[in-house]
Amino acid sequence: MRIGTARSSYRHDEALFDSRTQYAWLAILGVALLGFPFVADEYWLYLACLVAINIASATGLNILTGYTGLVSLGQAAFMGIGAYTVAAFEQKFGTPVLLNLLAGGFVAMLGGLVVGLPSLRVKGLYLAISTIAASVVLHFVFANWHSVTGGHSGITVAPAEILGISFDTSFRLYWLFVPITIMMVIGAANLFRTRIGRAFIAIRDRDISAEVLGIPLLRYKLLSFGLSSFYAGVAGGMWAYFFRVVTPESFPLLMSIFFLAAIIVGGMGTILGAILGAIFMTMVPEALKLIVGWLPLSTDATLILSPVRTIVFGALIVGFLVFEPLGLQEIWRRIRRFFHLWPFRA
Amino acid sequence: MRRTVLKSLLATAVMAATATMAGLPAAYAADKEIVIGGSIPMSGVFAFAGIGIHAGIQDYVRMVNDAGGVEGYRLRYVPEDSAYAVDQSVAAFKKITSQNKVNFYYGDSTAFSKTINPELERAGSMIMSGASFATELNDPEKFPFQFIAGPDYTQQFGILLRYIADEKPGARVAFVYSDTEFGRDPIASSREVAQSLGLEVAIEIMTPPGAVDVSTEMARLRRARADYTIFHGYILGPIPEFISQARQLRLDTQFMGTFWTMDNSTVMQMGELADGFMGVMPYSYYYDDSTSAPMLDKIREMRPEYQSVPYIQGFLSAMLYAETARRTIAAGQEMTAVNLKTALNSIENFDTGGLIGVPITISGNTIPVGRIYRADIQAKRMVPASDWIVLE
Repeated sequence: MRIGTARSSYRHDEALFDSRTQYAWLAILGVALLGFPFVADEYWLYLACLVAINIASATGLNILTGYTGLVSLGQAAFMGIGAYTVAAFEQKFGTPVLLNLLAGGFVAMLGGLVVGLPSLRVKGLYLAISTIAASVVLHFVFANWHSVTGGHSGITVAPAEILGISFDTSFRLYWLFVPITIMMVIGAANLFRTRIGRAFIAIRDRDISAEVLGIPLLRYKLLSFGLSSFYAGVAGGMWAYFFRVVTPESFPLLMSIFFLAAIIVGGMGTILGAILGAIFMTMVPEALKLIVGWLPLSTDATLILSPVRTIVFGALIVGFLVFEPLGLQEIWRRIRRFFHLWPFRA
Repeated sequence: MRRTVLKSLLATAVMAATATMAGLPAAYAADKEIVIGGSIPMSGVFAFAGIGIHAGIQDYVRMVNDAGGVEGYRLRYVPEDSAYAVDQSVAAFKKITSQNKVNFYYGDSTAFSKTINPELERAGSMIMSGASFATELNDPEKFPFQFIAGPDYTQQFGILLRYIADEKPGARVAFVYSDTEFGRDPIASSREVAQSLGLEVAIEIMTPPGAVDVSTEMARLRRARADYTIFHGYILGPIPEFISQARQLRLDTQFMGTFWTMDNSTVMQMGELADGFMGVMPYSYYYDDSTSAPMLDKIREMRPEYQSVPYIQGFLSAMLYAETARRTIAAGQEMTAVNLKTALNSIENFDTGGLIGVPITISGNTIPVGRIYRADIQAKRMVPASDWIVLE
């Protein structure tokens, strides 16, 4: 706890942010997010949208894996359900964007509830394998349910349209995706101040003890799967509006590993961890490209440095895991702690 | 002192970041240049092709610029590594197009071509080709600003089937393909082509992606008694396993492949099993000296070691970009997507300098030309087994 933030009421104790400094920084972040689209070019706006989608999905996986302790490698497949639902709703019914996204979330949630059933019996790696199996089944459904998914060719999605405004550029999509992601992140942060969220944490820490305390494991594990899949479904829906083509190959197993890596690198079981992890995993490959681009090298060097970049990215992930197992959020926390007393204590 | 250094470092970093985010153009003059952007898979699973494509485009651009450019314009090639991932390919596209006035773009996959299509239509300032030969892209109405620098997969099958129909009328043909978008692409449409050529499709076998054990599939292939077996949707595996088991079973079928299997190094990786393996190739091989090919001579002069078929594809793509630009500039027109595509489609009986052995015409989104080659394991080369086949 930082100096000068003695909690004198339960309300204060429950608050998400407890100091004026934090509110000031939040305001700065808000202004930065509002101003960003007006100073950034299409490339940076594209990356911002991609980061927003990845944060939404990583936050969902964090609810399941980071907070409830259930390892899942099915996040990409749940995103696929959301993306296909949005694509099909958009193509067949032309329903409003926000309704489509919600539908994507709910259909993915149903998928998550089914896939989550084995979680009562199996844990850890066994559960991970069962979620991989579910991904394979879903991939088969995506590829072969021609009338809905369009088979291997997939579905082309029309641009999102709200009040006659077509969201066909990264600039416009930014104003759709970033608020949705912020709402989802705030929702997740608040979840862990409720009975449900605390039940998830209890299950993660020791599921037998949680049951003894009166937490029905099946209900809460399924709820965690459902919520996580809902997040993935909405993220998948945003993905569909972003890339505008959904095929069975759009959501490979590697993508699930990407999200798992994101929450591990960011810091499992913290809201900030999922955010930092998603930013890290999305931006570091691009940042490395930028660094290579700044070097006064020929295009031949770009070719030579491409595999080197991949190695550096891998080494960075391993480095974080070795030197900071609690993830980027712990580094962030240490930096914050340093500045709490700065400059009075170096 | 330390603070001053830190401050200046910080200031430099902020300035660099601001300049990058605002997408400030490079320091050189942007007029009188033709920009070729590219999402090139220099790393990842498709890097074997991306490296060749990159070298091909780069060499052609250098060659043209050394000779004075195109109608007074210099070609500028701006590649970015895409790692063969759609999100990174699109990121590369956004980065390159927001920092340069791009006229031509090289994409790395079917998924990217489909994803970026609305963007191309919206921009209306560039045309694109790429590493995809997907049949779906051969639709000028749906993909008005894209083209394929060769035959699409259905046309590649068409060329193989035409050869088979000439060699053995009424032959029984087997299609073996992977359960991927790439693998399934030409199967349904080629069934009809085979029928129209009087061939019988004896069996269609779909294998899971990355299949290793093919004994069940082999049993089915054996029962089908096919004269020819065409593989599609693979680079190499599980083709050697099929051929190996077929040899053990003394199965009398001629194995064939399509473009991505047909690079010399890929086929020769099969060792003894490659002997007699045939397939369709839209371009001349690097070492092909059967006819006069001045452009191949130049390539061999620039690069004395073997260059892969993706290199030739990249080289030809750049050549078509330059020719399209030349025609547009010569007609006194602005380089818009519509004008560039019209100029591309005006290419008729164009001499590629031997990269393709016959003059080419681009009437739609493809160049429906190819030749059948056979692997000669002694010479470790692919040798022509037919003349160039041009589909109507």
